[in-house]
Amino acid sequence: MDPTTTESPSPTTPAAASADAGRPAIIEVEDLDFYYGENRALDGVSLAIPSHQVTALIGPSGCGKSTLLRCFNRMNDLIEGAERTRGTVRIRGVDIFGPEVNVMELRKRVGMVFQKTNPFPNSIYENITFGLQLQGVRSKTRLDEAVERSLRAAALWDEVKDRLHESGLSLSGGQQQRLCIARAIAVEPEIILMDEPCSALDPVATARVEELIHKLKQEFTIVIVTHNMQQAARCSDRTAFLYLGKLIEYADTQTIFINPSDSQTEAYVSGRFG
Amino acid sequence: MATPAEQFRRQSTAIQRREKVIVFFLRASAWIILLAGATVLGTIAWKGAGTLLQPNFPFINITFLAEAPQTLHVFELDGETVEMSDQDFREFRAKLAEEAAASGESAIVPDSTSYVYAAGGIFPNIVGTLLLVAGSMSIALGLGIATAIYLSEYARQGSTVRFIRLAILNLAGVPSVVFGLFGFGMFVLFFGWNVSLIAGWFTLAFMVLPVVITASEEALRAVPQGFREGALALGATRWQTIRRAVIPHALPGILTSSILGIARVAGETAPIMFTAAFIMRDKLPWEVDRWFDFFFQGVMALPYHIYVVSSKIPQNEYSARVQFGTALVFVLLVAVIASASLFLRHRIRARQRW
Amino acid sequence: MSEPDTRRPFAVTSRYGGERKVVGERMIQLFFGGNAFVAVLILGLIMIFLAREGLGFFQLNRANLEVYRKAGLEFVEPLRLQENQHNQLVRRMFDLRVESARALGRNTELDREAINARLRPLDDFILAFEDAAEPLIHASMNLSDLAAEIKMAAIEWEETEEYRGGLKPDFDYETARESLVAFLGTQERLNEMVAANLRRVVNQGNQLEWANTALARAFAELRNEALAFATDLPGAYHEMSTWDPNEPVPTWKAWSVFLTGSQWLTASFWQDWYGVLPLLTGSLLVSFIALAFAVPLGIGAAVYVNQIATRREQNLIKPAIEFIAAIPSVVLGFFGIIVLGELLRQFSEIGWMSWWPGFPVAERLNALTAGIMLALVAVPTIFTLAEDALQNVPKTYREASLALGATRMQTVWKVILPAAMSGIVSAVLLGFGRVVGETMIVLLCAGNRIAIPDFTRGLEVFTQPVHTMTGIIAQQMGEVVEGGIHYRALFMVGLLLFVLTLTINYLAQRAVRRLRLPTI
Repeated sequence: MDPTTTESPSPTTPAAASADAGRPAIIEVEDLDFYYGENRALDGVSLAIPSHQVTALIGPSGCGKSTLLRCFNRMNDLIEGAERTRGTVRIRGVDIFGPEVNVMELRKRVGMVFQKTNPFPNSIYENITFGLQLQGVRSKTRLDEAVERSLRAAALWDEVKDRLHESGLSLSGGQQQRLCIARAIAVEPEIILMDEPCSALDPVATARVEELIHKLKQEFTIVIVTHNMQQAARCSDRTAFLYLGKLIEYADTQTIFINPSDSQTEAYVSGRFG
Repeated sequence: MATPAEQFRRQSTAIQRREKVIVFFLRASAWIILLAGATVLGTIAWKGAGTLLQPNFPFINITFLAEAPQTLHVFELDGETVEMSDQDFREFRAKLAEEAAASGESAIVPDSTSYVYAAGGIFPNIVGTLLLVAGSMSIALGLGIATAIYLSEYARQGSTVRFIRLAILNLAGVPSVVFGLFGFGMFVLFFGWNVSLIAGWFTLAFMVLPVVITASEEALRAVPQGFREGALALGATRWQTIRRAVIPHALPGILTSSILGIARVAGETAPIMFTAAFIMRDKLPWEVDRWFDFFFQGVMALPYHIYVVSSKIPQNEYSARVQFGTALVFVLLVAVIASASLFLRHRIRARQRW
Repeated sequence: MSEPDTRRPFAVTSRYGGERKVVGERMIQLFFGGNAFVAVLILGLIMIFLAREGLGFFQLNRANLEVYRKAGLEFVEPLRLQENQHNQLVRRMFDLRVESARALGRNTELDREAINARLRPLDDFILAFEDAAEPLIHASMNLSDLAAEIKMAAIEWEETEEYRGGLKPDFDYETARESLVAFLGTQERLNEMVAANLRRVVNQGNQLEWANTALARAFAELRNEALAFATDLPGAYHEMSTWDPNEPVPTWKAWSVFLTGSQWLTASFWQDWYGVLPLLTGSLLVSFIALAFAVPLGIGAAVYVNQIATRREQNLIKPAIEFIAAIPSVVLGFFGIIVLGELLRQFSEIGWMSWWPGFPVAERLNALTAGIMLALVAVPTIFTLAEDALQNVPKTYREASLALGATRMQTVWKVILPAAMSGIVSAVLLGFGRVVGETMIVLLCAGNRIAIPDFTRGLEVFTQPVHTMTGIIAQQMGEVVEGGIHYRALFMVGLLLFVLTLTINYLAQRAVRRLRLPTI
C-alpha cells in the first residue's frame, strides 16, 4: 500500500495521515471499536480528517460509515446499547469521549445534517435561530443577522427572504435540506457532518446541495456519508472506503476512484458490489 | 350461444342482487346504531327541554340552574292544584298562620303531597361536578404527563419500561368501580378522609391516570425522531430538546386525549358514589368554616343525582321533570367537552403534516 | 470564523452556565423520574391494596364457616331442608287448588261459593297434610332458634374485651350445643310419627275428585313425592347423627364456597353466604346479551363505513358513533330504567309477541333491558377498533382481489375480513371488557335479583332479573363495616373483576400480536 494513503501509525502526528501536508488534521480517529449491543459496527478504525476539506465516507450499507460519522458528535449516545469499546476520537486534540467533555458544547462545534430532512414545523426564521436561542441569544439584531448570514451561506436567502415567517415545511425537499444546513451553520460550528444529505432529493436539488458543499468548505470542515459514488467523486477531496466495519482504504478521492490500491475498493467503486 | 356482453350482464345481475342485500344489512347496522344513539339523546333532549327551557323570557329556567334541590309540595287551594317548593310552602304556611292569628280564627293549612328533589334546581350538583373534574384532572394531568415524558424521553427502553408500559395500558381497562372500591378502602376509610372532595379527586385521578399516561406517551412518540436529533445536533441539552422540539409538537395530541379524559371523569358515577358524592347537602362547597374543610367535604354531583332521582325516589310526573332536566344538563356538559375534543383532534389531523 | 483554534472546545465550560446546566438537567430528569416513580407506585399500590383487602376475606370466611359448624347451624341444616321440602309440597298443593278452581269455573256454571264448597275436601286435605308435619316443623324452628342463639352468644363472647385480652377462655360450644344435640334422642320417634301421619293423610287423598285428568295426574305425582318425602325422613337423622362439630374447616372450603357458592346472602339472621356464582353468571349473561347486539352491529357498521360508505356518510357516522361513546353510562342507565324498561314491558305484552320466550316479561328491569343499554356502550368500542383494523389492511389486498373479478362483498368476506381478523377479535374482546366492567347501567337496569339465572328455562333466561359483580359492589359498599367479612367479600369481587378485565385486555393484545399479518 502507498504509505501516504494508509492510516497514521501515531495519531499525535496528524500530518502524516493527511495527503495534504499543508492542512492539519482536525479529527483524529484511533483504533476505534464500536458495538450495537452484540453487533460490532466499527472494527479498529483509524483515520485523520483534515480541516477545510470535504471528506467522504463510502461503502455498502451497514459498513459502519454512518456510525463513524455519528461518533464525531456523539449522536450515537442516543441509541440504546450503542457503545464505544476501544479507541479514541480526538477533535482538535481533545478526546471527545473523555469525562470532562460537555456533549452539548461538542455538538455546537460539530454540526450535523441528516439523511431525512428534519426542519422543525416552525417558521424558517425560528428554525435558523433555534440553536442560538438555546445558547441564550435574545438580541433581535443578532438573530436577524445570523438568519441572513446562514441563509446566504446556505444559498437559500434569495429564495426565502420574503417568507421567513412561513413554516419550514412549506419549502421543497431540496430547500428543506438547505434550510437544515443553514440551521447547522447558524450556531457557527467548525465541522459539519452530513449523513447522506441528498438521498431523498431529486437530481436538480442534489446538484444545488453539492454546489453548496463545495462552497462551504472554505469555512467549514465537512464530512459526508454518501451512497452515491459519483457524488463522492464530484464533491469530496478525500475519500474513506469502509467495509464490514473496517477502514479498507483512505486516500485522495482521485486515488480512490482512479487508482485504488485495494481490490475490494476497486470492486466497490467500479460498481461490482454494494 | 350468448354474446360476451350478455354473459357479463347475466352473471352480474345474479350476484348484484345478493350484493345489494348484504350492503343493505351493513348499512342498516350503521344506521341502527345512530338511531339508537339519537333516540336516547333525543328523548332526553325533548323531555329535558320542558324543564330546562321556559316559554317566556329569559327562556332558560334559571331557577333550575341556580338553586339547590328542594322538596316539592303539591296541594289543592280553592279548587286549583298548586305546586310550591319547600321554602315557598313554609312562607306560605307562616303567612296563613299570621293571617289566621290576626283574624282570630284557627289557621287552615292545606294538606299537601310532597315529592323529594322535585323542586328547586341542580346548582350544587353542577358546582360539585365541576370541582371534581377540575381537581382530579389537575392531579392526573400533572402526574400523567410527567410520567409519560419520563417513560418516552428519559427512561432506558429496556424490558422494565416495556413491562411498565404494558401494565399501564392494561390498567386503563380496569372497571371504574374497582377504582371506586380502592378509593373507598384507601382514602375514605384507611386515610380517614371520609366521603370528601379530596378522596373523590384522588380516586378519579388514579382512574384516568393510565389513560392520560398512555395517550400522552402516544402523542410524544408521534413526534418524529428527526426533531429530537435536529435539536440535539444543534447542541441542545436533553431538557431543551424536550421542551422546545418535542412538547410543543406533542401538546395538541396530549390535550385532545386529556379532554376525552375530562369527559370520562365528568361522566363516571361509580368511583364517586362512595368516595365523594352526597345525596343532599345544604351548604355550597365554599361555605366552610376553615379553608381546609373545603377539601374534606362531600359534594353533590350531577351523575350521582341522576342515579338517585332515577332509582331511589318514587317515580311520578314530578320526579320525571327533575330526572330529564338533570340528564339533559349533564349530557350537554359532557357533549360540550367531548365535541371540543373531537373538533380539536380533527383540526390537528388536518394541520399535522410530518 | 473567528479563530476557532484558540478556544478549548468541548470541555465543560461555564460559558453558558455549563456546570449549572448539567446540574439543572439532572434535577429535571429527577423530577420526571420521580413523577413516573410515584405514578407507577400508585398503580402498583392499587393492586396490592385490592389484593390485601380482598384476600383477607378467606380467613374471615373460614372463621365464619367454623362458627357455622361449631354453633350447630350446620347440624340443623338437614332439618331445615326437610321443612323447606314440606313447604314446597304444600305450596304446590295450593297451586293445584287454584288450578282446580279455575278449571271448575271454566267447565261448569258454578259460582264462587259453590266452587269453594266443591273444593272443601281438597282444602281439608291440604290442611291435614300441613298439620301432619307439624312436629317436624316445630322441631326445626326450635333448633334453628337455638343454633342462632348459640352463634350470637359465641360472637358476643369473642367480642368482649376480656376474651380479646386473653382473660376469658374460648367460648364453650360443647355445653352450648348440648340441648341442640339432645334432639337426636327424640328424632327417630318423631320421624316415625310424622311419617305415619303423612302416609295416613296422603292415602286419604285417594278419595279426592278432580275436574280433569291432567289435574288428577299432577296430584298423583305430588302424592308420590309426598310419600317419598315421608320415606326419606330418616335420612336427615342419619346425616345429623354422624355430624362432627369438631371437624376442622379446611382452607380450600373458604375458597370453594366463594368461587362456586350459589348464594350471596348478607345480613341474614341465620348464616351469611358469600358465593360469587350468581353475580358472575349475571355479569356474563348481561355481557353476552350486550355483545349479541353489539358485535354484529358494530362490525357491520365498521365494514360499511370502511368499505362501502361515501365520504360524506363516513364523515357523519364516524364522529356520531364516537359521540355515542361519550354518553355517560349513568345517562344510559337512566334511559334504560325510565324509558326502555317500560317500553320493553309494553312491547312484550302485545298479544302476538307472546311466542317469544319470556314474553310478556315479569319484570321490566331484567337482563335484556340492561343488555340492550350495554350494547350501546360496547358498540363504539367495537366499531372504532374494528374500523381501525379494516383500515390497516393493505390497499393492495383489495385491489388484487377486485382485479381477479371478485365482487365487493366477496372481497370483503374472503380477503378483507380474514386479513383484519386479529384486530376484530381484539375489538370484540375489548368490547367485552368494557361491558363486563360497566356499573351504572347494570345497577339501574338489571333488576338486581341475586340468584343464578335459571338456564333450564331456555331463552326465557334473558328476561330474568339478575345481579352483577359491578352492581353488587356499587350497591352494598355503602353499608359495610370496614375490615368486616362483607367488606372484604366485596373487595374480593372487585379483585375478581380486576383479574377478569386484565385477562381480557391481555388476550386482546395477544390476539393482535398473534394473528398479525405478515408485513409486506
